[in-house]
Parts: sequence; C-alpha cells; structure tokens
Amino acid sequence: MSEHVVLARGLTKSFEGGREPVWALRGVDLEVGPGEFLALVGPSGSGKTTLLNLLGALDVPTGGELTVLGQHVASLSKLARARMRLHSIGFVFQAYNLVPVLTARENVEFVLELQGLGEGRRDRALAVLAELGLGDLADRRTNELSGGQQQRVAVARAVASRPKLVLADEPTANLDGENAEILMHLMRDLRDRHGMTFIFSTHDPRVVAHAVRIVTLVDGRVSKDEPREPTS
Amino acid sequence: MAWVSGQYAVRSVGRNVRRTILSIAGIAIGCVLALFMESMNRGHGELFARAGSASGVGHVRVVPAGWRERRDSRLRLADWQADLASARAIPGVTFATARARAQALLAVGTHVVPVELAGVQPEIEPHTFRYVQKMHEGRYLRAGETGNIVLGRALVNRLTADLDDDIVATTVGPKGDIQSALFRLVGIVETGNDDSDSAVCQVALEDLQHLTQFPGAGEVSVILGDYRQIDAVRAQLASRVATGDDVMTLSEIAPDIEGHLNQDAAVTRFVSWIILLIVLLGVASAQLAAVLERRREFAVLAALGMSGPRLVGLVVQEALLLGAGGAALAIVAGVPLVWKFAHTGLDFRRYVGGSYSFQGVLFDPVVYGDFGWWIVWYIGAVSMGATIAASLYPAWYAARTDPAVALRVAQ
Repeated sequence: MSEHVVLARGLTKSFEGGREPVWALRGVDLEVGPGEFLALVGPSGSGKTTLLNLLGALDVPTGGELTVLGQHVASLSKLARARMRLHSIGFVFQAYNLVPVLTARENVEFVLELQGLGEGRRDRALAVLAELGLGDLADRRTNELSGGQQQRVAVARAVASRPKLVLADEPTANLDGENAEILMHLMRDLRDRHGMTFIFSTHDPRVVAHAVRIVTLVDGRVSKDEPREPTS
Repeated sequence: MAWVSGQYAVRSVGRNVRRTILSIAGIAIGCVLALFMESMNRGHGELFARAGSASGVGHVRVVPAGWRERRDSRLRLADWQADLASARAIPGVTFATARARAQALLAVGTHVVPVELAGVQPEIEPHTFRYVQKMHEGRYLRAGETGNIVLGRALVNRLTADLDDDIVATTVGPKGDIQSALFRLVGIVETGNDDSDSAVCQVALEDLQHLTQFPGAGEVSVILGDYRQIDAVRAQLASRVATGDDVMTLSEIAPDIEGHLNQDAAVTRFVSWIILLIVLLGVASAQLAAVLERRREFAVLAALGMSGPRLVGLVVQEALLLGAGGAALAIVAGVPLVWKFAHTGLDFRRYVGGSYSFQGVLFDPVVYGDFGWWIVWYIGAVSMGATIAASLYPAWYAARTDPAVALRVAQ
C-alpha cells in the first residue's frame, strides 16, 4: 500500500472537442503525502479543475497512472468511485453548492447519513459546525447565510466524516478578503488538528500565502513544484 | 431520529408549489377517472346479476343431468320438488321457483308463431322473472288456475291476437306424438323491447306438464339477496340436490352475456389505461423539468458520493410524496362521486331508450357503480404505481448525471 495520498505519473486527460481532442492535462507527475496543505495555481485553462476532478475520482484519466489513497482511479467502477468519494474524500466547491432546502446542520448531516452513520450523526454535524464557528447558525437555511458562512458550511460538510483528502476548487473565489482569510485559517486548523490532506486550487495570492506547498500548472503540465513556509 | 433524506424529499417537493399542485391535481384527476371506470366495471357484475335475476335466468339454477351439454328443454329434473325445497332452505336464497319448458307452436286462426313455452309457478314467477311485472293489458297467471296463457306484446302482434282470445299451443310429446291444448290469453306483457317481449310465453306448470306429457320440472331457478354469494350458494346447493341433477351459475348458463359485459369492461379498462398514461406522461414531464432544474444539485450530490441507485431512490421518494398527495385528493374527490354513482346510478336512458336487450335479456339502462373498501387500495395503488412509473425516467436521468461534466457546465 502506497504511503502517498496522491501519486500521479504521466497523467493525461483529454476531452472531445470537434475534430481534435482537447488536452487538459499533458503528463502531470505529482506526489502528495499525508497532511499536506497544497495550493494548485496557474492561469485559467491550465488544468487545475481537471486535475482536482481526477484526484477526487469524479473523472478518470485518459492516460498515465493515478493512485489516490491507494486506489487506482482508472480501474474503479462508477459505484466504487462514488463510494470512495463518500467515505474518503471531501469536496469544497467554488460556488458552495449547498442544498438550499436544508439547514446548515442538515447539509452536514446529510453526507453523514449517506455514509450510513446512524446514532450520533446530528451531534457530529453540530460539533463540526461549532468547530467552524457556525454553532449558532446550525438551524438556518443556507440561503439565510452570508457567502463566507455558506462556504464554511461547505467546509464542514467536506470534513465532517474526517476524510483523508479534502479537495477545494477555488474555495475563496466568491469571498471577500476577510472571509477568504478566515476560511483559509479554518482549513489550516483542521489540517493541523486532524491531519487531513488539503489540495486547493486558487488564483488568490492571499490564499496561496497559507499553503505549505505550491504546485504551478501551465498548459496541462506541472511547471513548478515548491515547498514553502506559510506567511499568513 | 429523522432522516435528512426524507426531509430533503419533502422540502424539494415544496420548492415549486405551483408545479407540485398541478402534479397532484393531475394525479388526482387521473385516479378519479380511473376509479370511476373501475367502479363501473365492478358494477357490471351487479348489472349482469340484476339482468340475470330480472330475465328469469336466475343467479343459480338446478338443471337436469345432461342439460349443461345439450340444453334440451325436454329434459326433466330427477326430483324437482326436493330440489326446490333444498334451494329454499339455503340462507341467502330470496326466491326459488320451478319451471318446465317446451318448444311449441302457437296459433290464432291462420297465424302461427314458434315459441319456447314456459310452465311456471305463478305465485313465485313475478319475483324471479320481472318482465311479467310489466303487464300492459289484462293480468298475470294465478296460482291454482289452469288453461290461461300470458304473452309478450311482440308475440301477440305476430299472432294478431287480442286479450281473451283462444290460442292453440301444439308441441311434441315424449313418443313423438303431437300434443295440443287451448289456452286463453289473459295478459299481455310489454317491456318496451321486442326481443324481451318475444321471450314471454307462459302457462301454469301443470298446464305444460299436461300439454307435453313430460312430468315434473326442467329447472329450479334461484335468486339470491346478494349476487356475490353465487359461488357459495352453488356449492351448498350442489351437495343437496337430487342425485343426477346439476347446479349451474348465471355465468355458466349465459356465457355470451357475461362475455359481452366482459368486453365492455375491457374497453373501459383500456380507456382507463389511456387516461392513466396521459397523466403519467404529464407527471413524468413535470418531474423531468424538476430534475433538469436541479442538475447541478444532483451533480454535487453525486460528487459527494451519492450513488446512482440512491439518486434514483431520492427522485422516486419525491414522486411518492406527489403520489400520496394525489391519492389523498383523489379519495376526497372520488369517494363522494363513486358513492353517488353507486347509489343513484348513471342513467343511459337518453341514449339507449327505455331499456336494451342482449340475447333476449333485458338490461336496465341505469348502470350502478360499485362502492367499497377496495376504493382506498385502488386509489393508493393507481396513484403510487403511476407516480413511481412516471418518476423512473427522470430518476434514471438524474442518476446518469456526470458530476464532473455537470459541475463544469454549471461553472
């Protein structure tokens, strides 16, 4: 069993686009260990979201090798990939993507319910929300929350079951500077306390400042991969 | 602990109130129409039984050995009096009467008409053969008197006879010899239907026995208080009749009539299915619109790890809520409607005239529906079945959502 959370070798991904396929990833090599707080940066169209989708087993690679949490993503069935996402990977989306008809607590609890957690799932959901400073807002519908609060609920939903890997696609893109800062601090705290691996894509230099490793993608390839000391 | 997925389904149904109301109303209307038709179909059994009891066929009939195959009117029961007594002793039997029949020629002057002449027990017959209650002229036969005949208007017209005319009846005796007797026309029956009038040709049982020289009776006709007891009474009677005699039900005696009604029922059911199909397509369309509107949401759920079958379950669960709403509304609207239908009936007199007949059996143009507890499970089954069926394609569509593609498109 690999110790890597993510191990990618020569990873490629293409999409059908008229006569010629469009290559979003052109041979990505990447190793991510447990507990890393990694920022994926690069210009629009560089392949950040495509790479996150592959790492999250939302999609399968066209070529190369990809192992996530010891599983060869390409060889997994659709159902097995869904199971893997449910039990081992947390997602935070740019547009929050909370279920609007549910409260903050129910959004978190829903994922725990899908995981088959019976007794105690409500307490777990409330505890995670409290950990993210949302204890008082647990019973509010998500459309009654600010953007920053919604994104924190989304983070709570992603981490409630203590996944080994959390993927966040431009998590601060819709937030102002202050809320972006709060969110990044919270994510880093979660990583420090629970040892989860965070991989997030971003354009925002203030967010990058929190990362302990920065992987730069350009034109579907890793152009730079550098560890750094977080400055925030 | 409440299931969040259940709350999610309930609240999702409430997202677009107008669409939900329209869907529920559509399901309810479809259910009520289907219910009405099913009630009419079930009422056909009652109509058949009513027609059978009115036309003299009887709900159950004791017949001689061999009659089932040959339908020969010269056959006689082994012990008709014992059979009659046995029938009258069975609970649920309202009336039982003996008859004998013979093929005969009636003549008045130079006019001759072939008929099936029935020998009856006048004191009971009007209760088992309601046509003879419709005396147009004269009177019905009386118990104990002989030499009288009652005819239907159509036969009287063909014979050009009048009340109190003497009519010669001729038939063939047991040894092939010609037997004749003179009867006085004491009553003319007019049902309003020529076919039915042609079937009315009655004399006293003793007169027929004397005319044909065949002793006894050829049938014991039994009328029940509740036609649904036909099979039970038949079973009881079969164990009690004289050795050799047979017991038949209305369906066995008149399979053509039942077939005719079954055909009607099949057409009604077909129309019901068409209505339900239209409702189903409407609900499916509304559900599909709801799924398309929530494509991004389903993509997120799939991304979070909700499997295809669970997504199907979620959409079907929402459909079941619509179905439950439709069923509740259908019960509220449909129960009074069917109750009214069952109690006052649907009058087709405007379309078919006073009555209509099939194979000599007069049917009442007022059709009654059936009303009972079956309505509840019927509405439940139809509305739930239709909504589940309607939700399958939208659910399958939702389950097919590729999270990566849907989220990419959404962004």
